[in-house]
Amino acid sequence: MEKTKKEGISMIELTDVHKIYKTEFYEVHALNGVTMKIREGEFVAIMGPSGSGKSTLLNMIGCLDKPTTGEVIINGVETSRLSDRQLTELRRDSIGFIFQQYNLIPTLTVLENVELPMIFRGLSERKRRAMELLKLVGIGELRDRKPNEISGGQQQRVAIARALANDPPILLCDEPTGNLDTKSGRDVMKIISRLNEEKSVTVVLVTHDPALSDYTDRVVRIRDGRVE
Amino acid sequence: MYPELARRNLERAKTRSILAVVGIIIGVMAVASIGIFGNSMQKSVLERFEDIADTIIVNPKQSKGFTEIEEDDIELIRKIENTEYVVPAKDEKEIVSFKDRKTYSTIYGISEDDLEKLYEVYEGGIKLKGSVVVGYSLAEDLDLRVGNRITIAGSEFRIAGILEEEGTSFAVNPDNAVFLSVDDFDKLFDKDYSMVVVKAESLDYIDSIASSIDSIVNKREEKVEVMKLESILETIEDALSTMNNFLIAIAAVSLLVAGVSILNIMLMSTVERTKEIGVMRAIGAYRETILKIFLMEALILGVVGSVAGAVLSIAGGFAIVSMMGLTTKYILDISTALYIAEGFAVGVFTAVASGLYPAWKASKLEPIEALRYE
Repeated sequence: MEKTKKEGISMIELTDVHKIYKTEFYEVHALNGVTMKIREGEFVAIMGPSGSGKSTLLNMIGCLDKPTTGEVIINGVETSRLSDRQLTELRRDSIGFIFQQYNLIPTLTVLENVELPMIFRGLSERKRRAMELLKLVGIGELRDRKPNEISGGQQQRVAIARALANDPPILLCDEPTGNLDTKSGRDVMKIISRLNEEKSVTVVLVTHDPALSDYTDRVVRIRDGRVE
Repeated sequence: MYPELARRNLERAKTRSILAVVGIIIGVMAVASIGIFGNSMQKSVLERFEDIADTIIVNPKQSKGFTEIEEDDIELIRKIENTEYVVPAKDEKEIVSFKDRKTYSTIYGISEDDLEKLYEVYEGGIKLKGSVVVGYSLAEDLDLRVGNRITIAGSEFRIAGILEEEGTSFAVNPDNAVFLSVDDFDKLFDKDYSMVVVKAESLDYIDSIASSIDSIVNKREEKVEVMKLESILETIEDALSTMNNFLIAIAAVSLLVAGVSILNIMLMSTVERTKEIGVMRAIGAYRETILKIFLMEALILGVVGSVAGAVLSIAGGFAIVSMMGLTTKYILDISTALYIAEGFAVGVFTAVASGLYPAWKASKLEPIEALRYE
């Protein structure tokens, strides 16, 4: 298993990525020439202190933000020349997001939240697939609840199911256990880890919890916008 | 799914949505009710003039120096097809006196049969053989009864009948007039015919009759002026509908206010839902999808408010019309539907137009900034 991952084709490739945030009075160099490669099926943790640029890095990989200079290749696609529409499609079809705040849509039920990315994609038979995913994360019985009627751990499981809706090859997790108690956090990590092993989904995890590195193949440390 | 999502978003801020809908209801009601009122007014005013619309009045062209219509020309007019009647009349202004009262009045010379065609009698009968018929107002002013004798230019005449009050009229207003036979008229005054009243068999023939008169009588010289009463009606109709449109425009200001309130609540909504918009963009919603959801919310507010407003405007129209003392019989007329539809359309349009800017603003949010928003 370990071997195939290391030899696999690269899923995420960053070359000399800089990100400078300019305000009227000063500039923030959030990323200072990051170059890294993540292979298909790898489980990578990005760790570093607050303000090190790890979230910015995750946003670059997630096509939510564009680098000031440098190249980001996701699943074989060079992203810098893509239009807003193409970036949206890349996110929708190739990337699943899991946020620290779960970020479920409060007006939608659990099932509908999982359906949403499929609606954006225009898929039919969404209900059946959404239900399968809810069962996969172990909360099939909560399908008709609203997000505010279930616990944080359950919400994060819904978020995982939603991230998997369009069967993306990449899963990006931004402090997925940050708001959860130890047990719920462990359950969530087990699910993510199982997805990585069984479905060889490439997982990039941003955290500053060292305990989570147990689940990963590799840890990339970031400090002052550079890979250490 | 998107309409459902839009509906739930509106339910989330229930009070706010209800208030926005109330604004639209008031606006649509104002526009449609005033439209209904104007329509009723127009109809009831026109109704009064409807029976004279098929009438043509021929007068001598005074600007060309003609003061009389020749009898030959009248005979030519009589030969024109599709006329119901052709009534020539002579007229003169003269003092009419009864006992010690006197008044200045119009004296008409007309045949007995023709007078019967034009007016209804109120008292007595229409007999012009040595007697006269007087108008209602004149009878009232001089306190005349059938059988009284009045003096016109030195001759005495017995009153055979008093006509019904006519009110407004564009042809010959009989209310303050005395009608003599042509023979009697000729004894008093030396005048030829000064007008011809032509009634068409139906409104369809008005134009052809008018142009026939014009081409036959005015062949060589422009001797007469042909006036279609229908065109006067059109002028009145135009004036009334201009006024109606003006009133509707004023009522539309209330819709404008409703539009501003929708703009306001939807802007609030975009700010409150910034993060949610960011999440949707992150997981694969296009800008247009966000735009669509917000516009749909505005559309729902507009449609709900406009439907309610349109229904209530019938009651509103009824209230205004009866307050103004007009007949309410035109409120359920088919023409009312036009104003209700207009109110509805303007209501929906206002709501959607007000939603455009907030929706555009929401769709323009950068996903990363929207996601960071707390």
